[in-house]
Amino acid sequence: MASVSFKDVVKHFGGVTAVAGVSLEVTDGEFMVLVGPSGSGKTTALRMLAGLEAVSEGEIRIGDRLVNKIAPGERDVAMVFQDYALYPQMTVYDNLAFGLRRRKLSKQEIDRRVTRAGEMLDIGALLKRKPGQLSGGQAQRVALGRALVRDPQVFLMDEPLSNLDAKLRMQTRGEIKRLQHDIGTTTVYVTHDQVEAMTLGDRIAVMSDGALEQVGTPEELYDRPANRFVGSFIGSPAMSFFEVATQRDRDAVRLRGDGLELSVPGAPELPAEVTVGVRPEAARVWRDDEGLLGPLRGRVEYVEALGRETFVGVETGGAQIVVHHDGRASLLPGDEIDFGLVQADLRFFGTDDGLALRSENGAGPAPS
Amino acid sequence: MTQRREQAMATTILGVFSLIALLPIVGIVLTALQDPDTLSGYGSFDGLHFDNFRRAWEDGNFGPYLRSSVIVVVTVVSIATVLSIMSGYAFALMRFRGAQVLFYVLLLGLMVPFETLIVPLYYDFIDLGLYDTYWALILPQIGTSVAFGSFWMRAFFRTVPRSVIEAARLDGASSWLTLWRVLLPLAKPAVLTMVVLLFMWTWNEFLLALVMVDTEELRTAPLGLGFFVGRNTRDLTLLSAGAVIVALPVVIVYAFLQRHFIRGMVSGAVKG
Repeated sequence: MASVSFKDVVKHFGGVTAVAGVSLEVTDGEFMVLVGPSGSGKTTALRMLAGLEAVSEGEIRIGDRLVNKIAPGERDVAMVFQDYALYPQMTVYDNLAFGLRRRKLSKQEIDRRVTRAGEMLDIGALLKRKPGQLSGGQAQRVALGRALVRDPQVFLMDEPLSNLDAKLRMQTRGEIKRLQHDIGTTTVYVTHDQVEAMTLGDRIAVMSDGALEQVGTPEELYDRPANRFVGSFIGSPAMSFFEVATQRDRDAVRLRGDGLELSVPGAPELPAEVTVGVRPEAARVWRDDEGLLGPLRGRVEYVEALGRETFVGVETGGAQIVVHHDGRASLLPGDEIDFGLVQADLRFFGTDDGLALRSENGAGPAPS
Repeated sequence: MTQRREQAMATTILGVFSLIALLPIVGIVLTALQDPDTLSGYGSFDGLHFDNFRRAWEDGNFGPYLRSSVIVVVTVVSIATVLSIMSGYAFALMRFRGAQVLFYVLLLGLMVPFETLIVPLYYDFIDLGLYDTYWALILPQIGTSVAFGSFWMRAFFRTVPRSVIEAARLDGASSWLTLWRVLLPLAKPAVLTMVVLLFMWTWNEFLLALVMVDTEELRTAPLGLGFFVGRNTRDLTLLSAGAVIVALPVVIVYAFLQRHFIRGMVSGAVKG
């Protein structure tokens, strides 16, 4: 096991910059998820760590060792690929043993490791099969097994679940988490799926356009997004935004937007124009007794009834806000509804730069 | 209904073309088996006279010619196959300076008609002191075969998912080991198809053998057949028997490898 460190790492492909100066520390034994939309540079960053892409500028270290110029096979990392990349003509056993044989391990040791991985991943019965005879889920486990037997310093995973169906994906997600926890090997995991990132990562690094937007625990990213991009990318349904002008009114701040007006008591100093970010659970169908800010009036655009809860897309003053409702809501598109906002959960961002505006007690204004 | 009619039409068209391809072969086999003393026409059947083959074999001196052909073909095909696999791998999967230019230079070998090369080759080989040796037949054909083989193997290697090769690199395998242990087993149909094609082309090569060797011992089977035909223009039965003898090895090789050959051709057509 080892720590991983990126220091001002840059990657150019011809004239295109895929990774633009990323610095990131992954501590020993940590599960770090790189998440971002496609083209954000997360896979390129992982491939540079694997040694499959050369580093244009900056330094990558595994433990204390600078690995920029070290061949992939000598970095002591193992990778799980999106398409599994099993050797098609070899049996599962040989797939697992291939890397161990290259490392000149004894036959007994290879056998011991393969058998153990077979047991851990429940693929013991498949060892004599070839990859063509495996289901997607089985092939996925073999790919994990091939990384596992190597007992490397770092596991690298490049969207390993994206080819599985939803149910299997959830199941395997839990399994990867459990395995990593048991073995404790440092893991860098790339995904575009924020749910995967939130459920798997000890910490998450959000990337966009080749740069790191924020690094933090899932809770930190969810509760205190560093900017509008992170707020919109993490969480499902996404955070809603609307732009307002602010005006101080004694202890309170008045927020005036297109067709909406709110008074936020006890709010901190805010610039003249801000963007308000609202998580779905911070916007609720209006009830007098809940101490919500509002009411705000809007028109229902769509209703997503998930059974246990309902998300209502509400259009108000040119903005669309997702409103949460416990249980089922008897609403139809076109209905007018009143809703309110939970003051403590409001997030403010600079309208110009999209950066979070922080007060002493977190991202939001102080509760009254 | 339409589908059935379409199928019937397809079968008919394919059947007609198969017949066009098959008829000369059947004709020559039947002629080779005719009674040499009666003057039946080409392709007619009047019994099985296997003795014609013995007469053609002795008359045409096919023993040494076939031996010569085997020496040339086995050397050319085996060396060209190994070199093609290696250069195909390099062109498909390695990044190196001038790869593209080099590849196009190699393709020239496919595009330039052999007839234009034969005269300079003749003088070059005289200068090298290799005229009238097996090398004069082997080296030029390795050259043209590697041009095609590199092109063919490159097309195949480009269809292999990159991640498989990357997985091997991460597992600590060198390029050499990745090629022979991971990729080559996958490439079997492509390699066998290439072997059949190279075998066929090398076996049937006539012009080079005509120009580059003089000694009777070194003559290859098609060249020997040419001389044999020249000597026996009247005896159609004997000529046919000679032609069958010369063509037989290609048919045998094809028959053995045809399953892989077709698979290789089809996958090449779809993915290459």
